Parts: sequence; structure tokens; C-alpha cells
Amino acid sequence: MTLLLKQLFALLRLLNSDTGTNQISAGVACGLVLGFAPMLSLQGLLVFLCMFLFRIQIGAALASAVLFAMLAWLFDPVSHALGSAILETESLRPLFTTLYNLPLVPLTQFYNSVVMGAGVLSILLAPPVFFGSKRLIALYRAKVVARFKSSPFWKLWSGTTFFKWYSSYEKFHG
Amino acid sequence: MDKTTDNNKPVKKQGAIRVEAVVPMLIVVGATALYFSLFFDAHLRRGLEYGATQANGAEVNIGRLQTSVFKATVLIGDVQMTDPLQPQRNRVQIGEVRFGMLWDALLRGKVMIDEATIENVQIDTPRKQAGKVLPPPAPQSGPSAADKMLAKMKEEFSGNVVGDLAAIAAGANPSEQLQQIGGELKSDSYMAELQRSMDETGQQWNTRMAALPRGEDFSALRTRLGNVQVKEVKDVAQLQAAVKELQAIRDEFDAKSKPVVEAGASLSDDLQGLQTSFAGLDDVVREDVQGLQSRMKLPTLDAGNLSRALFGMDVLNKLQQARAYMEQARQYMPTKGKQADQPAPRNIHKGRDYAFGHPKGYPAFWLRRARVTSTLPGGKGLTGEIRDAATDQSLVGRPMIATLQGDFPQQGVAGIKVELVVDHTQAEPVERMELSVARYGVAGRSLVDSQNVTLGFAQATAAAGFTAELRGERVAIQASNRFRDVAFETTAQSAVVREMMNASLAGLKTVSMDAKVQGTWGDLDWNLSTNLGDALAQGMKRYLQEKMDAARKRIQAQVDQRVAAQRQKLTARRAELEARLKSALADKQAQVDKLRADLEAARRDLEQRKNAATDAQKQKLKQDANQLLDKWRR
Repeated sequence: MTLLLKQLFALLRLLNSDTGTNQISAGVACGLVLGFAPMLSLQGLLVFLCMFLFRIQIGAALASAVLFAMLAWLFDPVSHALGSAILETESLRPLFTTLYNLPLVPLTQFYNSVVMGAGVLSILLAPPVFFGSKRLIALYRAKVVARFKSSPFWKLWSGTTFFKWYSSYEKFHG
Repeated sequence: MDKTTDNNKPVKKQGAIRVEAVVPMLIVVGATALYFSLFFDAHLRRGLEYGATQANGAEVNIGRLQTSVFKATVLIGDVQMTDPLQPQRNRVQIGEVRFGMLWDALLRGKVMIDEATIENVQIDTPRKQAGKVLPPPAPQSGPSAADKMLAKMKEEFSGNVVGDLAAIAAGANPSEQLQQIGGELKSDSYMAELQRSMDETGQQWNTRMAALPRGEDFSALRTRLGNVQVKEVKDVAQLQAAVKELQAIRDEFDAKSKPVVEAGASLSDDLQGLQTSFAGLDDVVREDVQGLQSRMKLPTLDAGNLSRALFGMDVLNKLQQARAYMEQARQYMPTKGKQADQPAPRNIHKGRDYAFGHPKGYPAFWLRRARVTSTLPGGKGLTGEIRDAATDQSLVGRPMIATLQGDFPQQGVAGIKVELVVDHTQAEPVERMELSVARYGVAGRSLVDSQNVTLGFAQATAAAGFTAELRGERVAIQASNRFRDVAFETTAQSAVVREMMNASLAGLKTVSMDAKVQGTWGDLDWNLSTNLGDALAQGMKRYLQEKMDAARKRIQAQVDQRVAAQRQKLTARRAELEARLKSALADKQAQVDKLRADLEAARRDLEQRKNAATDAQKQKLKQDANQLLDKWRR
């Protein structure tokens, strides 16, 4: 829980800074894939691995995964229809037969209509979500953060002793 | 606030790869390993318990479970499956199940068990606590034809026919409850409908009669006919004028008489229809009588009826069990067929699993062989095996076959032989089962339990046979039971009932029951017979036939009395309507017939005139010709 909260605070901090746009956007895109995939699946594990190995904002990924999981639940009928259509395509049958009988690949549960549909949807939506997130973060920083920092409240608050003490603490301890 | 924006601190450029994540990853891997060694078995046990409970329809408990991830082996101990019909007992109890899975299949997301061992199998064992029974699953889209059929059978068999008969024997007269028939009978509504129909017919005919030509119309035609010079025709011109006038009268007559003739035919049809409706009243009254007999619990005293009441529920339970197992087998081992043709998944969020197996591939689950053993002191026990339990039989190419033979001495059951074949290798699913039990003890088994009488086997030794073949939607089931050395147990408050039951069962030491159920799930043909039913029917007849006949007569008389007044009124109304309409139409018909006869007479007169004129002309011509010839000869 502490780790989770730490990640969320890190997300807020990064969101309100001037850097890390790509990390947050990649986190949101990973969250999309995670949210659309089953809880226990090979692809979920791979996304987690990527989140750990690469500099992807984990807080953003986890928060958006929760959001996208709810969205995916609503879209299950669409995913089922799309997945069924793909899995019943005769021309793709040899490919699926090979994949179905390969080691590890069946652990993705690609042979399930909802998993296949949701997987295809998440892969198609990942690039737009990545670039859309980047744009939204930039807008957020320009419109909300900048305006907030120029507000009298923030100026008053940043002039207090407590804030200065906390800034010094942040500088040394992170 | 932000480290990267702090100008005083040198900013270290961070790469895309998070090197510092190695330690957290190792922690995650360690935590996973810890989970598998400490908690996985418990969680898997609970998961299996949940899944098995759903499949069994009642609580399933697993005492212990041990897994080895590296060896891919599982040990499940002390499995107890609650009997949904008797929650305080286990349907099956298994001492231990051991099996190992192939890693090759596991890596492909499949479960392949080469050989399993199932030890110490017992049936019908007591439970420490009653197991939880799940409510029956809600039908996906209303009850099917099979559900309706089975519900109808259940309603029939759960009626207490013997109890009702005993109540009559004890002195109750069901027909006495019929002092005042409450509610509306079918006959009432039928007669109201008859009344309405007759009123409508009367009104329609009044309108139609008013539209028919009146007497004056025909009188006018008769006057015109009288004015036609028929008898004193002097020349051809007069004849032609008379013919023309006659034709005009004839045409007008045809136009006016046609509706009268048509109305005559139509009236016959309508009156015939009313007569048929009146005849239908007898059938409705008969239905009312039968309905009241059933409402007053006045059963029919025949052996078939009693046999169904005694053993019908047993056979129905077996049938329902067979159907439940069949549905599970067809759900978990679907037949070969186009996957797109399969019904939509029950839960859309779970989707549908597609199988893309090839001849050398694994199905999702395949148990190649399981040995069943249960050895008890004294060498008795159970042996059997299960072969090729697979989720995709068309891929495996073999049906599932399970055999079992042996004894359950603790339960007093000996000579069990079971063979079960589940053949889903082709498009049409087939399930076959043959079961025989050479001997089992029966004690305190109730057959009839009512307020007036109870009947059951205090003790008996029984043998049973059961064969079933379910092929697609078709059902063929045969069940037989032989109860030997039967000691009956019967109680009754009334001395007459006691005497009747004792007399019926005297000398009956063996009871046999044979049942045959055939047809499709939506239309089953039942044939059930037992010598106990025959004996009860024979014995009860002596005591009850007279009473039941009297009760039936009384019900019939009451219904007749109830409908008599209205029926008489309706009959009189019908007679009056019929007479009035026939009489009104007969007047018009007489006028039409009279005018038609007059027209015919006039036509005949003219014909005679024409013939006479022709003869005279011919005679004159002949005379003239003779004179001319005489002149010429001279």
C-alpha cells in the first residue's frame, strides 16, 4: 500500500513538474493494455515487466489500468463480437492453430473472444492514447499548473517558513 | 520541489532502462516464490472447492491439497461431495486423488494427466455438518420444453393418490364438499358464449330477412304475368310480344328469388352450426366434472395410476439426475461441430473459448487414465478406471469410458457394476450408462406419507438395474428394482384403512418395479408398473369402488343441476329462433315457388300456341301444294 501511494504521489509530482511527459504518457498507454487484458495473463505479466524495466511512470500505469479495466468491462460485448469475428476468420485459422499449440502463447488466452477483442482494441488504441495523453499533460501544465502557481494563494503559501523548510527537505531527501 | 529543476544539484541523465528496478524485481520474484510455497495450495483448494460445488450443485469439501510446482504433481485428500437431495450425506467420498501433469502441456496452457490414482472411494457416507445446496440455475430464456415436461411429471407424481384413497376409505366423502360449487365452471362461460352467439345470429337474420324481397314484389310480378296474352295469340307478332314480356318477368323473378334461395341454404348452415355448438356443451360439462373430481381429490382406482404414485418420483429423480449429468458432460466436453454454431456464452464478460487443436495437440484438459481402487479389510472393495476424459473428444479421437465394479460393504451394497460411455467424438452427442446392483439393503423407506395413511418398506433386500442411452435429444431409459423379503410398515388412524391396507398387502413378499421412459426430452412416454400398485388397486377396489362411484355420480348430478336451467333456456331460445326464421323464410319460399310454377305454365302455353300455329301453317302449305299439283297433272 505504501509503495502504491508512493507511486501515486510521484505521479502527481511529475505531473506538476515540467518533465516526464513521455514517462507518464507511456504509463497511461501501458495502463490501457493492462486494463484491457485479463488479470492473470502472460501479456499482463509482460507489461508489468516492461513497467519495471523501462522508465515508465508506474503510478500513471496503475491508476489508468483501474480506469481502463472499468471501461473494458463496459466494452465486453463489443470485444466479444470483435474477438469472435477475428477467431472465426478462416484465413487466420492456420496461424491460430500454430499459436494455440506453441508453448507459452496460449497463456495469453488469445483463444477467448473477449480477450482477443479487448487485446486488439487496446493495441489499436495505445498509440492514440499515448499521444493524446502527451497533449493533455501539456495542456494541463499550461492551463492549470501555470495559473495555479501565479495565484495569490500559491504566492502566499510558497513564502511561508514551512514551505521553505519542506523544499529544503525535499532537496536533500527526495 | 522538483529535483530535475533544481539548478544547484547536478542532474544525472537517466536512460530509458530502469537499472535500479533489479532489486524490486528480485523482491517481486521472491514474494511470488513465497506465495507459491505458503499460500498457493490453500487458495487452489478453495478455488477447486468452489468450482466443484458449482458443478455438483451442492457443497464439495477438500480436506487437504498439496502441489509441487517443479514436479507438477497434485495430491487432493478427503474429498466430500454433498448429495443435493440429502444434504446431511455425501454422494461420494474420496480418500485421496494423486496425479501428475505434463509440463509440456502446462506450458501450452493445457492440463494433461497421463495417469491418476483415485483411492478409497465410498458412497452415501454421513457428513459432520449438512452441506450447502445451491439453488437450481435460472434458465437462460424461460423454461424449455423438457423443463415443462419434467415439471408436469413432478406435479403428477408428487400428488398423494394413496393418501386420498385412504381418506375416502376412512369415511370422507369428497363430493360432500360440493354443496355449492364455488367459482365459475367452464360450462358457464361456454353457455354465455352460446347465448351471445345466438343473439348475434338472430340479429343478423332479422337484418337479412328485412332486406329480402317482400310479398308485394312477387304479387306485382304475378299481376304482370296475368296481363300477358298467352291463350289468345292471333299472329306471330303477338306471340313475339308475349315471349318478350315473359322473358322480362322471368329475369326480374330470378333477380328477386336468388337472395331467397341463398338465404335458405345459409340458414341451414347457421342452424347446423348452432346445433354443433350445443353438442360441444356436453364435452365441456364432462371436462367440468373431471376438473371437480380432481379438485375434490377423487383419484381413479387403477394400477397404473397407483404405480406412478408409488415409484414415479424415484424414476423422475433418476431421470433428472441423468439429465443434469448429461448437460454437464455436454458443457464441458462439447461435441465436434462448428464453433460459430455454438450458443452465445451465458456470461458475455467471460466470452467464448475457441479450440484450435491439431491431431497431435493437447485438448484443454485430458485425463488419459485414472485407476479407481478402494480396498477394505476382507479383500472386498472397488476397482475401476476412467479412460480419456477430455474436453475435446474429436481431437483425442476416443470416447470417455468409465467402469467400476465391486462392493460397498459398509453401506451394505454388493455387486455393483457400472459402465459409462460419453461419446462426443461425432456431431451428435451420445451418453450411455449401464448400472446394476446385485444386492443392497433397504430399511425404513417411505412410499406413501399422508395424514390418513403411511406405507413403506420396514426392511427389504433389493437389486436394481438401470440402463440409459441419451442420444442428441432422444432418451431411452429402463429402470428395474426387485425388493425381496419385504416387511411393510403401514400406519393409519382409521381401522377401516388399516384393514384395507393389511388386506391389500397380505402375502406380498416380493415387490418389483419396472419403468421405461422413451421419447425426446420435450415429449416423454412413461411406462411404469409394479405389482405393489396392482395389489393395492385390487385390495382397495373392494372397499372403495362403491363409494367412489357414488361420489362421481354426485359430482355429475351437481354439475348437471347447475347447468340444467340455463341449458333449458338456451335450448328453448334456439328452438324459437329456428322456428321463427324457418317460418319467415318458408313464406317467401312459397311465393317464389308459386310464381315459378306460374311462369312455367305460361311458358308451356306459349309453347303449345307456337306448335299449333306451326301445324296450321304446315297444313295450309300442304293443301296449297296439293292444289297446285292437281292443276299441273290436269
